[in-house]
Amino acid sequence: MPDQSHRRLTRRSFLKAACAGTALAAAAGQTKVLSGLVAEAGAAAAPWQSKFSACDMCFNRCGLIARVENGVVTKLDPNPKFLKSRGMLCAKGNAGIAQLYDPNRLKYPLKRVGARGEGKWQRIGWDEALDLAASKMKEIGEKHTRCGMWFTAGSDLQSQFVTRFAEVYGSFNVTSHESLCLLSNNRAFLDTFGEVPFADVLNSKYILMAGANRFEALVTPDSIDLMTAMREKGAKLVVLDPRYTKTAALADEWYPIRPGTDMAFMLALSHVIITENLYDAAWVAEKTSGLEELAAHVARYNPEWAEAECGVPAADIRRIARELAAAAPEAMVYPGRRSSDYENSTQIRRSFAIVNALLANWDRPGGLLGAREVGLKKPGYDAPWYDDNPPERADAGRAPMMFEEDGSYVLMREAVLSGEPYPVKGWFVFKTNPMQTAPDQGKTRRMIDTLDFMVVVDITMSDTAYLADLILPAPSYLERCDPATALQGSSACACVVQRDPVVPALFESRPVFDILKGLAGRLDLAEFFDFDIETYRAQQLAGLTGAKEALEQDGVYYNPSKVYGIYEGRIYKTLSQRIELFNKRYDQMGLDPLPVYSPPKKGPDKALRLVVGRSAIHTQSSTQDNALLNELEPTNALWLNPADAAGLNVADGEAVEVASSAGKGRLPARVTPDVPPGLVYMATGFGSISPTLTHIHGNGCSIASLLADGYDAISGNAALHETFVTVTRSAS
Amino acid sequence: MRKNLVAMLTLALMVLAVVGLALAEGNGNARKGKYLYRKSCRGCHAAGGAASDLSPNSHTQAEWKKLFAGWESIKCANEWKALSDEERNDIFTYLHDFAADSPSPAKCS
Repeated sequence: MPDQSHRRLTRRSFLKAACAGTALAAAAGQTKVLSGLVAEAGAAAAPWQSKFSACDMCFNRCGLIARVENGVVTKLDPNPKFLKSRGMLCAKGNAGIAQLYDPNRLKYPLKRVGARGEGKWQRIGWDEALDLAASKMKEIGEKHTRCGMWFTAGSDLQSQFVTRFAEVYGSFNVTSHESLCLLSNNRAFLDTFGEVPFADVLNSKYILMAGANRFEALVTPDSIDLMTAMREKGAKLVVLDPRYTKTAALADEWYPIRPGTDMAFMLALSHVIITENLYDAAWVAEKTSGLEELAAHVARYNPEWAEAECGVPAADIRRIARELAAAAPEAMVYPGRRSSDYENSTQIRRSFAIVNALLANWDRPGGLLGAREVGLKKPGYDAPWYDDNPPERADAGRAPMMFEEDGSYVLMREAVLSGEPYPVKGWFVFKTNPMQTAPDQGKTRRMIDTLDFMVVVDITMSDTAYLADLILPAPSYLERCDPATALQGSSACACVVQRDPVVPALFESRPVFDILKGLAGRLDLAEFFDFDIETYRAQQLAGLTGAKEALEQDGVYYNPSKVYGIYEGRIYKTLSQRIELFNKRYDQMGLDPLPVYSPPKKGPDKALRLVVGRSAIHTQSSTQDNALLNELEPTNALWLNPADAAGLNVADGEAVEVASSAGKGRLPARVTPDVPPGLVYMATGFGSISPTLTHIHGNGCSIASLLADGYDAISGNAALHETFVTVTRSAS
Repeated sequence: MRKNLVAMLTLALMVLAVVGLALAEGNGNARKGKYLYRKSCRGCHAAGGAASDLSPNSHTQAEWKKLFAGWESIKCANEWKALSDEERNDIFTYLHDFAADSPSPAKCS
């Protein structure tokens, strides 16, 4: 239940509580709240309206049509003309209405008045809120240089304005969510092919998927295309995953590979393809560099050796290599997305990329594709220079190939905690929730305690917002005018979408663009935000003939740009200007130029490895409190193999205590053969500390409280699967 | 006198070699270089500008090295002369470090 101080401040919460004394009566309360809100917002003139938008319930941005009835959004339908999602909208997308009309939403600016984490807030007006934030930023900038402010933005169409603000304010310290997700995978493919590819799943005949769970962790168009390719075009899917996911269940073959040994499997594939001359020699000679070094390197990595490491029979590895090569170039090792798993994850993913290079599938149907031309322009600006700033980002120098634009959350947190190389004392957070998505929640909390000022802009009071000094309410995507964005849809499309408000913004919520504009005005930076989103969009779309009209008529603009063969006559963006099997830059930097296998670390005696994964119902930690989605997946449990459960004397459904080097938690056990002995799994985003998230406060266990804070040595991406836990039967 | 001249010439050659090395290796301040590039170059080198639309991504690292090694002979050498060696090196470092074949050529979303 929400704490008393917050409830006192939220009129709608009061209305809801008055209407719905029990959880059972919440639906009736919601109706009352809704009718009140619409009266405030002003009902639309026409009884029915249909408006285009692009979903924001995850990062895919599926095109949709909102049906608005008397000013209320009553249904969200997929936009049938939106090819990237193949005209579909998932459960999360459908639940967008529950995000818009969520009674647990933030409603007005809140200033912390009690101790941090005590949950005592004071409602304040926007002027006071912006004055407070601006004065704190000014103070921190003067005391610690402008790099004393850290900016973190989640995946959002307006996040680019947070980056812009940080730069003109003068801070180098910007981190995105991506260093908790896919950066090491991007690093590996970029350092092999010169860019991060898109998989042409639809036209592939043979797909090897290692770790990716595409039938639950939805990526468009890949998830839909994978099913079409398998069911309608006869493509073969082979899955490597210790966990029996829904993707594993639907695959032609599934191998419960030992966790952390994917590289052994991939090196053995390269071994077979090279030693049996199964590759297109002319293509490889023309496009790649380093075959000789690779051949010498993988000579020792035969399938028999790999079987001993990864547990997949050598005969199957050899057969899969031959089958992949036979189907090539319409075959692939699926690149995957989240790779925040091991401390050598860039090198693991390099071994994926190298097999793809040997399959000669780059830039060809059924293989891996480069980004297509979309043609959206990026309006420029001339940021000022501050001579007193330190030379580098605070997280610099700790991972040799970190991405400048994304940084590393884990390393930045170390820098803030240590005060080295310089103090970082302010944190601006927009729509991301590191308290639930980053490893070692306790450490994040300790880091926050060292800050002088923290402001969070979000739709609900996330666990991160709950610890802030100032919370600013943001509208949901259905209430916003957003810049245009370019989307890559593999062979399906290269397109542009944008958003206009489907309904007016509720409560006193304001988009982060307006907030940043307000802050810029108070910090003598108004000239860098002297535009509105409509003007900005016009600049983005300049030169794209017919784009504006297409967006109005169809809700999406397609650039009919070339799909395949875009590298004809073009260099690969690597040092050798070819696809680098052997990475020259790594060699120059003293890093392994070819992936060298080392067995995964072993945990302490009786410890179990904890791994992270996704379901099709929730996105990171942002949807667990959504009323509709919570009905489908209301809590989390610890997946425990029956053999481990028997050894621990734990029965299915019984509560267990879980402890790691980072912290501990309590949740029910789900005894299941879907995880192998020695490995446990739990869903992300539960066990919230924020009392206003009424569906998940104190419900289940936060995986962030258990995950250890390792990181990939090359990219600085988090290494979440290097976590070992002990499990005991709960005493109570 | 002759001895002094030789010494001076030797010193000048050494300085040139060091500057050349510095330019070849970068090691300037890429962030400052980005600011200086926007301030000094984007006035012309932009879409619809008087010169070609340029960004770090327009060339490879090797191409930027070559271009800067012979900067005195490029069209806008007069404008470049107005910059200090340090400023030119900062601009070079920015363009080189974010070149098409650099480790960070583009955002990776």
